[in-house]
Order: sequence, then structure tokens, then C-alpha cells
Amino acid sequence: MTVLKLQGVGKRFGGLQAVAPFDMSIEPGRITGLIGPNGAGKTTVVNLITGVYKLSHGRVLFGEQDLTEAPRHVVARAGLARTYQTIRLLPDATVVENVIIGMYRHQNTSLLAEMFGLPSARAQTQRFRADAQALLERFGMTRYANYPAGALSYGDQRRVEMMRALALKPKVLLLDEPVAGINDVEAARLGEIFRGLADEGMAVLLIEHNMRFVTKLCDYVYVLDGGELIAQGTAAEVVSNPIVIEAYLGEAVDA
Amino acid sequence: MVEILIMLELLAPHLPLLDLICIGTGYALSQAIVFRAGTFSVATSGFAALGAYCAAILVVKQGFHPALAVAMGTLLGLLAGLLLAAPLARLRGVYQAIASLAFVEILVAFILYFEHLTGGPLGFHGIPRLVKPWMLVVIMLLTMGMLYVLGQGAIGRAFEAMRQDPPVAASLGVNPTKYHVISFALSGAIAGLFGGLDALRNFSLTAEQFGFSILIATLSAVVLGGRRTVVGPLVGVTILVLLPEIFRPLAHYRQAVYGLLLVVVMAFLPFGVYDTLRLRMRDRRLAREAAAQGGARP
Repeated sequence: MTVLKLQGVGKRFGGLQAVAPFDMSIEPGRITGLIGPNGAGKTTVVNLITGVYKLSHGRVLFGEQDLTEAPRHVVARAGLARTYQTIRLLPDATVVENVIIGMYRHQNTSLLAEMFGLPSARAQTQRFRADAQALLERFGMTRYANYPAGALSYGDQRRVEMMRALALKPKVLLLDEPVAGINDVEAARLGEIFRGLADEGMAVLLIEHNMRFVTKLCDYVYVLDGGELIAQGTAAEVVSNPIVIEAYLGEAVDA
Repeated sequence: MVEILIMLELLAPHLPLLDLICIGTGYALSQAIVFRAGTFSVATSGFAALGAYCAAILVVKQGFHPALAVAMGTLLGLLAGLLLAAPLARLRGVYQAIASLAFVEILVAFILYFEHLTGGPLGFHGIPRLVKPWMLVVIMLLTMGMLYVLGQGAIGRAFEAMRQDPPVAASLGVNPTKYHVISFALSGAIAGLFGGLDALRNFSLTAEQFGFSILIATLSAVVLGGRRTVVGPLVGVTILVLLPEIFRPLAHYRQAVYGLLLVVVMAFLPFGVYDTLRLRMRDRRLAREAAAQGGARP
């Protein structure tokens, strides 16, 4: 059972083939890794999945839905949440407001009700507030609820971004280098959270170049290099693959 | 009771100022709503001109009931907002400002050209004064109330996200086009409403009234008072209306004082007088709470 399927997806910028056509399937209950050295094309793949770039080849299927041509907000509404390589919160909004905006896709009030603040709209906002409080508790962030998100420390901002992504109650969670700039202890703790989410049935797509973190956590790994898919398989298979080792460590030199 | 009567007696000569504050706040709210949605449009005075001429023509030439005429003006503003939203959605930042400025200038040119309808360069005169100050106050407060309520719910959240980071807003499922259109429709309707009210209290209308100077005054009011809250525009307009009265002796230097004030506010109160004060109060409250809990600040 695949929730997100890339079929022959590729991207060309002018004459440059940034990502050669490749297939990928992301399944619920599993942490799928996408790794590769810097410049391998990982970010391009993220932008292709999330609707930032138009595909040059192939199709993106989300369950039954074809998202090949879908703009960003349609991809999000289908059930894909993401975090960013560099944290992107709404810095002026409070922590709790940042989380509530993530619930946007679960809104079911009419425009008119929202326009005039009818009871249905107010009840919905109350419900969202309660849900946000629950998320804040889970991440131990309750006491920062009313702080502007931009005032928090780096690690706490990462947590807010995670909470916002989870507020979407996504089917697929795309994590773009979530442990960049975070120490090993903290990274391990985040890893446990990701594992927990996968165990609950979420499909997690982890974009990383930290090999150690990926091999410890991922159930299945795709390896990109120079815009091409060079290997795939379980973490153990991939790390022992000579092609992957060469891509990461450089060519073996004859002694 | 007597004191109140004396107060009213003393305030009576200043009633026209109250009119100006209410109308100005209406325009400033129309301007602020597009800013809140992250759009840099300055089309407000154009929407206001449509509402004003529509209401005046309907009352004077067609004998419409004033309330109906103002409602039609509001509707016309709303329609203009909807029409303008599509082309402006394709532009960003300063290009939006230039395109919306062009819209205002084109409208002013049309007002000058269609003489038989608008009075052309000579202006539109003989409009009965049907709008009382209390009506303006009530309608201004109602508009502020509606915008406040709207800001507390889903629309406010979507606007806030679009203002702060459009790509992130989209990645959370917010359809940028939809909220762009909503902000323009609201901006158009509010400016059309207050334009219509302005027409029915001012005896006459001229095209220049809706040109560059009102646009600058509206922008200044929003920058001065604050653009994220509904009270900010009211504070900004009040300062700009009362300032010349307080500084009567400096009448010759009015433009200079105006400019200086704006520079000082932008440098030291970047979110406007009201919004900055509110943020400071919030920071102080959070610090107090943190101290009470004995926790360190983040």
C-alpha cells in the first residue's frame, strides 16, 4: 500500500538535467529516507513533490489523487505536511498561533460564518485552540504558548515547526534535514518522535545527508547522486553498497 | 447632566473633525486590510471615488433613498475590488503598488472626462447633507467590529500567514488567490461604503479629492497608527486630523511636521503607534508571567 508514488519523475532546468527520471514509493507506517551528498538533487525532489516546481517528466500520485500539476496548497490539502531545512515559522505570531495555522486544512466553516464570526466559526477556533494546547503539552512547550515564535531558541523553534506540521494531521510528513544543527542527544530524541509517528501509521519521508542518523532510523533508503538515483534498499543494504560508498567517500585509491 | 450638555456645547464646533476622523478611518481600514493580507495595493482611494460618485449620482439624479445609494456604492466598490484582484494577484510588492496607483489615476481621469455624469473638472455639487456624525461613528465602529471578528477566525489566520511568509502559507494549504480576492473585495467594499458616506456629508465632490493626496494621507495614517490591528488605523487618522489643530501656530510648516512625524514613527515605532505599544505591553506581560513561574525566558 503506497500513499505517495513518484513515477518517472524528473526535472530539467533549461538544458540541465537536475534530476533524471526515477521512481519512488512512500508507504504508511514506514520511515523512508532520501539521502545524497550536497548538490545531489534532494531539494529539487522536495520541490517537485510539494508543487513548488513543475515536473519535466513523470507523475506524482497521492493515494488516488494525481498531484502532478497541483500547486502547493493543493498538495498540502491532500495531506502532505513539511518542515524546512532552514526553519520557517511565522515569527510575529505566537507559538500557539503558529500551531493553529497548521490546522487550516481541517476547517469546515463557510466563508460567511468566518466573515461575521458566527457561532460555528467561533466554536471551530475554540476547538483548534484546545487541539493546539494538547500538541504543546506533548512537546513540553505549554509555557511558551503565548510567546512570539521568533523569540524562541533554535531547538524550540524546530519543535514549533514540527508541531505545526503535525497540526495538519498529515498522511505524509516530509522532513527536510530536521536534525541539521542539532546535537546527537537532541537528534536521537527527535528520531524517537519520528519513529512514534511512523508507528501510528504516518508515512515519513526523511531528507538527510547525515548517514548515521538515516541508517539508524530509516526502513528504506533511496540514494541520489548527481541528480540520479544510484541505489535503493534497506539501510544496511545501502551502506554496504560500493556505489554509495564511492559517492559519499570518493573513489577508492589503489594503494 | 448639565456638565454633559456643556461638554457637548464645547465640542460642537469640532464636530467636522469627528466626520473627518470617521471617514479617514474607513479609508485607512480599507488600506490596512490589503496590507494584512500581504498585498501592497494602494487602490483604496479609487474604490472610494467609485462609492462616492455612485452614491451622489443616485441620490441627486435618480432620487434614490440615501441608504440604498450608499449600499450601491459599497457594492460597486466590492465589484471593483473583485475585478482588480485578478490582475494584481499576478504582481508582487512595488509592482502591485504601481499598478493599483494606475487604477486610481485612470478612475480620476474618467471622472474628469464624463462631465455630464460627474460634473467633470468643475466637480459635482448640490449634494444634500444626509449623513449625520453619529451615523458615521456607528458605521465606523461596526466596520471595526466586523474586521476584528474576521481577524480572530480562519480568515485572519490565513491573512497573517500570507503576510508573514506566502510560500509557507501555501504549504499549509492556504490558497493564496482566494485570500487575495477576499482582501480586495473587503477593501473595495469598505472604501466604497465610506466614499458613499463622504459624498453625502460634504455637499460636493471633486476628482482631486480622490487623487494622490488622499492616497498618501491614508497610507500615512496606517503606517502611523499600525496596520495589524483594527484600532491602529483609527489612532493614525486621529493623530493626523488633530495634529494640525494642535499645531495651529505651526500651520506654515504643516507638511514638514507631517513628514518629520512619519520619519520618527517609522524609525522608533516600526509597527505604528498603537501596534507597537500593544506589542510592548504583551512583552511586559510575558516577562511578568515568566518571572511569576520562576522560569527563565527563552
